[in-house]
Amino acid sequence: MEERTEEGKYSNLILSLKVFFSNRTAVAGMVIFLAYVVDALIMQFDPRLLGVTNPNQFTYNFVNPVPQPPSSQYPLGTTYPGINLLQAILEAIRVDLGYSMLIVVGGAVIGAVVGILAAYVGGYLDELLMRFTDIFFSVPYLVLAIAVGFALGRSFTSMVIALIIVWWPIYARYTRSLTLSIKESVFVEAAKAAGASMVRIMFKHILPNTLPPVVVQISLDLGSVVGVFATLAFIGFIPNANTPELGYLASLGLNYVQSAPWTVIFPGLAITLFALSVNLMGDGLRDVIDPRRRS
Amino acid sequence: MIGAFNLKKYFPVRGGVVGTQYLKAVDNVTLTVRRGEVVGVVGESGSGKSTLGRMLIRLLEPTGGEILFDAPEEEMVKYREALESGDKESAEMISRKYSLLRKKGSELRKLRTRMSMVFQDPYSSLDPRFRILDVIMEPMISTGYLRGEEARKKALDLLEEVGLPRAFGNRYPHELSGGQRQRVAIARALSTDPELVILDEPTSALDVSVQAQILNLLKEFRRRKNITMVLITHNIAVVSYMADRVAVMYSGRLMEIGDKDDVLTRPKHPYTMALISSVPRPRPGEARKRIVLKGDPPNLLSPPRGCVFHPRCPMAFHECGWTAEEVAEDINYLVQGKYYNVFGDNVKVIPLQDKVKVEGANPESIKKVLEVERENIRSLTAVKEVTEDSLLIIHAFQEPKLYKESERRSVSCLLYR
Ligand SMILES: Nc1ncnc2c1ncn2[C@@H]1O[C@H](COP(=O)(O)OP(=O)(O)O)[C@@H](O)[C@H]1O
Ligand code: SF4
Ligand SMILES: [Mg+2]
Repeated sequence: MEERTEEGKYSNLILSLKVFFSNRTAVAGMVIFLAYVVDALIMQFDPRLLGVTNPNQFTYNFVNPVPQPPSSQYPLGTTYPGINLLQAILEAIRVDLGYSMLIVVGGAVIGAVVGILAAYVGGYLDELLMRFTDIFFSVPYLVLAIAVGFALGRSFTSMVIALIIVWWPIYARYTRSLTLSIKESVFVEAAKAAGASMVRIMFKHILPNTLPPVVVQISLDLGSVVGVFATLAFIGFIPNANTPELGYLASLGLNYVQSAPWTVIFPGLAITLFALSVNLMGDGLRDVIDPRRRS
Repeated sequence: MIGAFNLKKYFPVRGGVVGTQYLKAVDNVTLTVRRGEVVGVVGESGSGKSTLGRMLIRLLEPTGGEILFDAPEEEMVKYREALESGDKESAEMISRKYSLLRKKGSELRKLRTRMSMVFQDPYSSLDPRFRILDVIMEPMISTGYLRGEEARKKALDLLEEVGLPRAFGNRYPHELSGGQRQRVAIARALSTDPELVILDEPTSALDVSVQAQILNLLKEFRRRKNITMVLITHNIAVVSYMADRVAVMYSGRLMEIGDKDDVLTRPKHPYTMALISSVPRPRPGEARKRIVLKGDPPNLLSPPRGCVFHPRCPMAFHECGWTAEEVAEDINYLVQGKYYNVFGDNVKVIPLQDKVKVEGANPESIKKVLEVERENIRSLTAVKEVTEDSLLIIHAFQEPKLYKESERRSVSCLLYR
């Protein structure tokens, strides 16, 4: 027992990778997710690579505005008014992915800090937080987002804020329960015996130990948030001045949905595929951090 | 060095119907540890050893009692005498000066450099996200004992002292074996050069082959640095190897304390006798009669009255705390079983307040049964008299205190009053 470990240095990482890569669907999910990320990065930094000159706007074609079916020139067809769907989707992914990331990570950071504080400090603060999150949980989040959106004004920025407000309580609850178990662990007791202050214990010991599960949760949530965000755009809740966004893009073909169903199906598929891929990936990550599943 | 006086820890346990009850994990423990000495605390699992250890370095707030830290021997003796004679004024004066429980904030943080703890399970006592070097540096940095480069250097030196390569500093706990982790935990506990280290079962989570190495390491540190240790263990062999004095705990109470050799070879308390008789002897020829205790350790929510050990004590006698219920249960057992022929079907045994009513039985036959069975069934010793109408009167009981059996030996048993 005393002698192993010369090669042990990276053994944990290697084991983690093994666990992850043995799960084929998780790997497929990750590949698709990475494809979305790469697309978003290209659109941000060098859209010309994909033949796009201005990724901030859809390119209209009023010469031939009626949706065209998929063809060799337009692999996914076009939508009203004459927008090349493939190019439009490639452009829109950046916006949806970016905002969703912002929402989930923003919610996770706020939630984590509040959750840890509540669980560690306990007492009134904890009680207050739990009642507060109860209220959030009892209202459907789409309804809540719309309500907050009305209060803050309807724009992309206010929708991001609205959705962060809707999303952080989930993370607060989650990190709270994680913290409650971590704070009972012997290493926290050892830190107390070492004279560590409460702040040090919260941020040096507890926060880093809640991170892996929270990251998994982030990847699982990313799919839902993209859906909610696109839904709000689709129903026209976010006024859109031609910004490439998947929900808005789907809504453009709404008048033609019977004669040209691809106008709605392809943007919808782009959203679904993304949600599916992050879910598969998240499941694989969950296996990696769960010691019971890694024997 | 450190002294606990009438130390108590009652954990609140929320019960459904009965409301909040208190679990008496440690009850009225008095124990002093001299500078440079190793005191072994032994007892079965659940006897309150860890709770005691955690209170001694203030990881748990006691429910009652006092802890004096760094008080000279004479002051501790004086404090104890003051408590016994009810001299509140002198006790308060000594408390004010040495009480560990009154230390707060930065004062307490400073004291934390002078005492530390090694926990039982090295798999959970090291933060999995900390590198080994950071683990060892934590006490120095948290208390401000050393900082930055100095702390780093000291941590690396300590790694070497506990027998690990310096390169391990950059590793994470999961890359180490159990024995190696416990060495790291020891290095952490020694990083602020403490005078007192509490060791809570430091070897019981480890492979047998590694246990001896860890004990030898501790012994070596003790020799070189003259560290005072409180060694908590359920393993008599560990105590026998390491300790100068032994304290025996049972159900949250101290049963006996004295010099190691004295206690181990001449146990005085009936519980200690049973505990030691259960250890296999090194020389087979010397095998001693094994005392097997009947029953289980008591429920700590409602411990037995009088001496907590009395329901299991082979030597228990009339004053040890027997209740009418206990006596009634044993009599009922005899009446329904062994002596069924004598008493027949119509006997009813009813426990009352400090009396037991035996309905439908002749007092003379009861007396005879008591006479015969007294030696085996200790609860029967508690019957003071049997009245004309078959009422059994129970003796008054006494709660044992820690009695001085000799100069360096105290026993909490009425036999040593
Ligand atoms: N935090 C706690 N809350 C409630 N009960 C506890 C707590 N810690 C310990 N106990 C109880 O106190 C008793 C003594 O425990 P412990 O001190 O760990 O014993 P030992 O170390 O001798 O095995 C046990 O019955 C245990 O269940
Ligand atoms: S006081 Fe002594 S004799 Fe009586 S029960 Fe307790 S240990 Fe046994
Ligand atoms: Mg214990």
